[in-house]
Amino acid sequence: MAVLGMRSFDPLESLFELQRNLDRFLQKPRGIDLGPSGPGVYPPINVFTDGNGIVIRAEVPGVPPNELGVSVQRGSLTISGERRPEAKTGGSYHRRERAFGKFSRTVQLPDELNFEAAQATCRNGILTVRLPTREETKPKQIKIQAS
Amino acid sequence: MAEELAPKAKREVEEPEQTRPGRTYVPDVDIYEDEHGLWFWADMPGVSQDQVDIELRNNLLTIRGQVLLEDYKGLSPVFTEYNIGNYECRFRLRDTFVFDHDKIKARMVNGVLELEVPKAEQAKPRRIAVTSS
Repeated sequence: MAVLGMRSFDPLESLFELQRNLDRFLQKPRGIDLGPSGPGVYPPINVFTDGNGIVIRAEVPGVPPNELGVSVQRGSLTISGERRPEAKTGGSYHRRERAFGKFSRTVQLPDELNFEAAQATCRNGILTVRLPTREETKPKQIKIQAS
Repeated sequence: MAEELAPKAKREVEEPEQTRPGRTYVPDVDIYEDEHGLWFWADMPGVSQDQVDIELRNNLLTIRGQVLLEDYKGLSPVFTEYNIGNYECRFRLRDTFVFDHDKIKARMVNGVLELEVPKAEQAKPRRIAVTSS
Protein backbone atom coordinates (compact mmCIF):
# COMPACT_ATOMS: atom_id res chain seq x y z
CA MET A 1 0.00 0.00 0.00
CA ALA A 2 1.35 3.40 -0.84
CA VAL A 3 1.88 5.97 1.83
CA LEU A 4 -0.09 8.98 0.81
CA GLY A 5 1.55 12.39 0.80
CA MET A 6 1.31 14.37 4.00
CA ARG A 7 -1.49 16.68 4.74
CA SER A 8 -0.01 19.87 5.94
CA PHE A 9 -1.65 21.48 8.88
CA ASP A 10 -1.12 24.61 10.83
CA PRO A 11 1.86 24.90 13.11
CA LEU A 12 1.08 23.79 16.63
CA GLU A 13 -0.32 26.78 18.42
CA SER A 14 -1.35 25.13 21.58
CA LEU A 15 -1.67 21.81 23.28
CA PHE A 16 -5.38 21.98 22.59
CA GLU A 17 -4.81 22.03 18.84
CA LEU A 18 -2.49 19.05 19.04
CA GLN A 19 -4.96 17.09 21.12
CA ARG A 20 -7.75 17.81 18.67
CA ASN A 21 -5.55 16.71 15.81
CA LEU A 22 -4.61 13.48 17.51
CA ASP A 23 -8.29 12.86 18.19
CA ARG A 24 -9.11 13.09 14.51
CA PHE A 25 -6.99 10.08 13.74
CA LEU A 26 -7.99 8.02 16.75
CA GLN A 27 -8.27 4.40 15.58
CA LYS A 28 -8.75 5.65 12.02
CA PRO A 29 -5.72 5.24 9.80
CA ARG A 30 -5.73 7.80 7.00
CA GLY A 31 -3.41 7.24 4.10
CA ILE A 32 -1.52 4.40 5.69
CA ASP A 33 -2.06 0.68 5.75
CA LEU A 34 -1.13 -0.93 9.05
CA GLY A 35 -2.35 -4.37 8.08
CA PRO A 36 -3.87 -6.41 10.87
CA SER A 37 -2.55 -4.10 13.61
CA GLY A 38 -5.31 -3.25 16.03
CA PRO A 39 -5.94 -1.97 19.53
CA GLY A 40 -5.53 -3.98 22.67
CA VAL A 41 -1.81 -4.56 22.43
CA TYR A 42 0.64 -2.70 24.66
CA PRO A 43 2.08 -0.18 23.98
CA PRO A 44 -0.44 2.07 22.22
CA ILE A 45 1.20 3.76 19.23
CA ASN A 46 0.81 6.99 17.33
CA VAL A 47 1.92 7.12 13.73
CA PHE A 48 2.98 10.32 11.97
CA THR A 49 4.51 11.44 8.71
CA ASP A 50 7.26 14.04 8.78
CA GLY A 51 8.04 14.69 5.14
CA ASN A 52 10.78 12.06 5.05
CA GLY A 53 8.80 9.02 5.97
CA ILE A 54 7.03 7.54 8.94
CA VAL A 55 7.49 8.34 12.62
CA ILE A 56 6.07 5.95 15.20
CA ARG A 57 5.72 6.94 18.82
CA ALA A 58 4.88 4.82 21.83
CA GLU A 59 4.67 5.60 25.54
CA VAL A 60 6.75 3.12 27.50
CA PRO A 61 7.28 4.72 30.91
CA GLY A 62 9.48 2.92 33.36
CA VAL A 63 11.44 0.95 30.76
CA PRO A 64 15.14 1.85 30.49
CA PRO A 65 16.04 2.52 26.83
CA ASN A 66 18.70 -0.18 26.78
CA GLU A 67 16.09 -2.75 27.79
CA LEU A 68 13.69 -1.92 25.00
CA GLY A 69 13.71 -4.24 22.03
CA VAL A 70 13.01 -2.57 18.70
CA SER A 71 13.47 -4.59 15.55
CA VAL A 72 12.40 -4.07 11.98
CA GLN A 73 11.97 -6.47 9.18
CA ARG A 74 10.66 -5.70 5.75
CA GLY A 75 7.04 -5.03 6.40
CA SER A 76 6.93 -4.79 10.16
CA LEU A 77 8.21 -3.21 13.32
CA THR A 78 8.31 -5.02 16.67
CA ILE A 79 8.53 -3.26 20.02
CA SER A 80 9.14 -5.37 23.09
CA GLY A 81 10.32 -5.09 26.66
CA GLU A 82 9.38 -5.50 30.27
CA ARG A 83 8.21 -3.15 32.99
CA ARG A 84 9.40 -4.16 36.40
CA PRO A 85 8.35 -2.56 39.67
CA GLU A 86 10.86 -0.97 42.01
CA ALA A 87 11.96 -3.46 44.64
CA LYS A 88 10.58 -2.40 47.97
CA THR A 89 10.28 -4.50 51.09
CA GLY A 90 9.28 -3.97 54.66
CA GLY A 91 6.45 -1.57 54.00
CA SER A 92 3.08 -1.65 52.34
CA TYR A 93 1.27 -0.11 49.39
CA HIS A 94 -1.54 2.38 49.81
CA ARG A 95 -2.26 2.37 46.09
CA ARG A 96 -1.25 0.34 43.08
CA GLU A 97 -2.34 1.67 39.69
CA ARG A 98 0.68 1.06 37.50
CA ALA A 99 0.83 -2.21 35.61
CA PHE A 100 3.93 -4.33 35.20
CA GLY A 101 4.93 -7.15 32.94
CA LYS A 102 6.26 -8.07 29.55
CA PHE A 103 5.06 -6.69 26.27
CA SER A 104 5.63 -7.30 22.61
CA ARG A 105 3.83 -5.63 19.76
CA THR A 106 4.27 -5.98 16.02
CA VAL A 107 3.02 -3.33 13.62
CA GLN A 108 2.78 -3.92 9.92
CA LEU A 109 4.14 -1.04 7.86
CA PRO A 110 4.18 -0.07 4.17
CA ASP A 111 6.81 -1.62 1.91
CA GLU A 112 7.97 1.77 0.66
CA LEU A 113 9.86 2.38 3.91
CA ASN A 114 13.61 2.01 4.11
CA PHE A 115 13.77 -0.29 7.13
CA GLU A 116 17.53 -0.40 6.94
CA ALA A 117 17.68 3.31 7.74
CA ALA A 118 15.39 3.04 10.75
CA GLN A 119 16.39 5.00 13.83
CA ALA A 120 15.04 4.70 17.33
CA THR A 121 15.42 7.03 20.29
CA CYS A 122 13.89 6.82 23.72
CA ARG A 123 13.53 9.79 26.03
CA ASN A 124 11.38 10.42 29.09
CA GLY A 125 9.62 7.12 28.58
CA ILE A 126 8.69 7.83 24.97
CA LEU A 127 10.01 5.70 22.15
CA THR A 128 10.30 7.33 18.72
CA VAL A 129 11.08 5.24 15.66
CA ARG A 130 11.79 6.99 12.36
CA LEU A 131 11.60 5.17 9.05
CA PRO A 132 12.37 7.08 5.88
CA THR A 133 10.62 6.08 2.69
CA ARG A 134 12.57 3.82 0.36
CA GLU A 135 12.62 0.15 -0.68
CA GLU A 136 14.09 -2.40 1.75
CA THR A 137 14.51 -6.17 2.03
CA LYS A 138 16.68 -7.28 4.96
CA PRO A 139 15.76 -7.59 8.62
CA LYS A 140 17.79 -5.45 10.96
CA GLN A 141 18.24 -4.99 14.72
CA ILE A 142 18.23 -1.34 15.74
CA LYS A 143 20.41 0.07 18.46
CA ILE A 144 18.50 2.42 20.69
CA GLN A 145 20.14 5.67 21.69
CA ALA A 146 18.96 7.20 24.93
CA SER A 147 19.16 10.92 24.40
CA MET B 1 4.23 -17.13 34.83
CA ALA B 2 5.02 -13.87 33.10
CA GLU B 3 2.41 -11.20 33.46
CA GLU B 4 1.64 -9.31 30.26
CA LEU B 5 0.85 -5.67 29.97
CA ALA B 6 -2.38 -4.47 28.43
CA PRO B 7 -3.02 -0.94 27.26
CA LYS B 8 -5.06 1.32 29.55
CA ALA B 9 -6.96 4.41 28.51
CA LYS B 10 -5.77 7.62 30.15
CA ARG B 11 -8.05 9.18 32.74
CA GLU B 12 -8.84 12.86 32.53
CA VAL B 13 -8.91 15.30 35.38
CA GLU B 14 -12.55 15.88 36.27
CA GLU B 15 -12.48 19.32 37.82
CA PRO B 16 -13.18 22.02 35.26
CA GLU B 17 -10.95 24.52 37.03
CA GLN B 18 -8.00 24.49 34.66
CA THR B 19 -6.25 27.66 33.64
CA ARG B 20 -5.03 26.37 30.30
CA PRO B 21 -7.09 24.86 27.49
CA GLY B 22 -6.58 21.22 26.70
CA ARG B 23 -7.16 17.93 28.43
CA THR B 24 -5.17 17.16 31.54
CA TYR B 25 -4.66 13.59 32.59
CA VAL B 26 -4.45 11.89 35.95
CA PRO B 27 -1.30 9.74 35.98
CA ASP B 28 -1.25 6.17 37.26
CA VAL B 29 0.25 6.33 40.71
CA ASP B 30 1.68 3.82 43.16
CA ILE B 31 1.97 4.87 46.79
CA TYR B 32 4.12 2.97 49.23
CA GLU B 33 4.83 3.55 52.89
CA ASP B 34 7.41 2.12 55.22
CA GLU B 35 8.89 3.26 58.50
CA HIS B 36 11.10 5.77 56.72
CA GLY B 37 8.48 7.60 54.75
CA LEU B 38 6.18 7.70 51.78
CA TRP B 39 7.07 6.90 48.20
CA PHE B 40 5.11 7.97 45.13
CA TRP B 41 5.64 6.76 41.59
CA ALA B 42 3.64 8.45 38.84
CA ASP B 43 3.70 7.49 35.17
CA MET B 44 4.13 10.71 33.23
CA PRO B 45 5.72 9.80 29.90
CA GLY B 46 6.93 12.76 27.90
CA VAL B 47 7.64 14.84 30.99
CA SER B 48 11.26 15.72 31.68
CA GLN B 49 12.80 16.52 35.06
CA ASP B 50 12.43 20.29 34.67
CA GLN B 51 8.80 20.06 33.60
CA VAL B 52 7.66 18.60 36.92
CA ASP B 53 6.13 20.74 39.62
CA ILE B 54 5.62 19.36 43.11
CA GLU B 55 3.91 21.23 45.89
CA LEU B 56 3.42 20.01 49.43
CA ARG B 57 1.48 22.45 51.51
CA ASN B 58 -0.68 21.83 54.54
CA ASN B 59 -0.38 18.10 53.90
CA LEU B 60 -1.82 18.47 50.41
CA LEU B 61 0.54 17.06 47.82
CA THR B 62 0.07 18.34 44.26
CA ILE B 63 1.99 16.83 41.37
CA ARG B 64 2.00 18.46 37.93
CA GLY B 65 3.88 17.47 34.80
CA GLN B 66 4.02 19.25 31.46
CA VAL B 67 4.72 17.72 28.09
CA LEU B 68 6.58 19.58 25.38
CA LEU B 69 4.84 20.56 22.17
CA GLU B 70 8.20 20.83 20.41
CA ASP B 71 8.35 17.05 20.35
CA TYR B 72 5.52 17.16 17.83
CA LYS B 73 6.85 19.85 15.51
CA GLY B 74 6.77 18.82 11.90
CA LEU B 75 4.75 15.71 12.58
CA SER B 76 1.42 15.02 10.88
CA PRO B 77 -0.68 12.29 12.46
CA VAL B 78 -1.91 9.48 10.22
CA PHE B 79 -3.07 7.07 12.93
CA THR B 80 -3.39 7.47 16.67
CA GLU B 81 -4.24 5.24 19.59
CA TYR B 82 -3.54 7.60 22.43
CA ASN B 83 -3.69 11.29 23.08
CA ILE B 84 -1.13 13.35 24.96
CA GLY B 85 -1.48 16.03 27.57
CA ASN B 86 -0.21 17.41 30.81
CA TYR B 87 -0.59 15.50 34.06
CA GLU B 88 -1.95 16.48 37.43
CA CYS B 89 -2.91 14.72 40.63
CA ARG B 90 -3.41 15.55 44.28
CA PHE B 91 -3.19 13.61 47.50
CA ARG B 92 -4.19 14.60 50.97
CA LEU B 93 -1.74 13.14 53.46
CA ARG B 94 -3.16 12.42 56.87
CA ASP B 95 -2.71 15.23 59.38
CA THR B 96 -0.55 13.15 61.67
CA PHE B 97 1.96 12.59 58.89
CA VAL B 98 4.96 14.69 59.79
CA PHE B 99 7.52 14.84 57.05
CA ASP B 100 10.98 16.23 56.72
CA HIS B 101 10.60 19.04 54.22
CA ASP B 102 14.31 19.37 53.47
CA LYS B 103 14.73 15.72 52.67
CA ILE B 104 12.03 15.37 50.01
CA LYS B 105 13.50 13.96 46.83
CA ALA B 106 11.94 13.98 43.40
CA ARG B 107 13.27 12.82 40.08
CA MET B 108 11.98 11.79 36.70
CA VAL B 109 13.35 8.51 35.39
CA ASN B 110 12.19 7.23 31.98
CA GLY B 111 8.94 9.15 32.23
CA VAL B 112 8.19 8.04 35.80
CA LEU B 113 8.22 10.48 38.69
CA GLU B 114 9.85 9.04 41.81
CA LEU B 115 8.98 11.05 44.86
CA GLU B 116 10.31 10.27 48.32
CA VAL B 117 8.80 12.01 51.34
CA PRO B 118 10.74 10.97 54.44
CA LYS B 119 9.10 11.04 57.84
CA ALA B 120 10.49 13.40 60.42
CA GLU B 121 12.62 11.68 63.03
CA GLN B 122 10.24 12.11 65.91
CA ALA B 123 7.37 10.79 63.82
CA LYS B 124 8.90 7.40 63.11
CA PRO B 125 6.81 4.55 64.48
CA ARG B 126 7.59 2.99 67.80
CA ARG B 127 7.47 -0.76 67.93
CA ILE B 128 4.95 -1.99 70.42
CA ALA B 129 5.96 -5.24 72.09
CA VAL B 130 3.31 -7.90 71.99
CA THR B 131 3.32 -9.97 75.12
CA SER B 132 1.21 -12.89 76.09
CA SER B 133 -0.53 -12.51 79.38
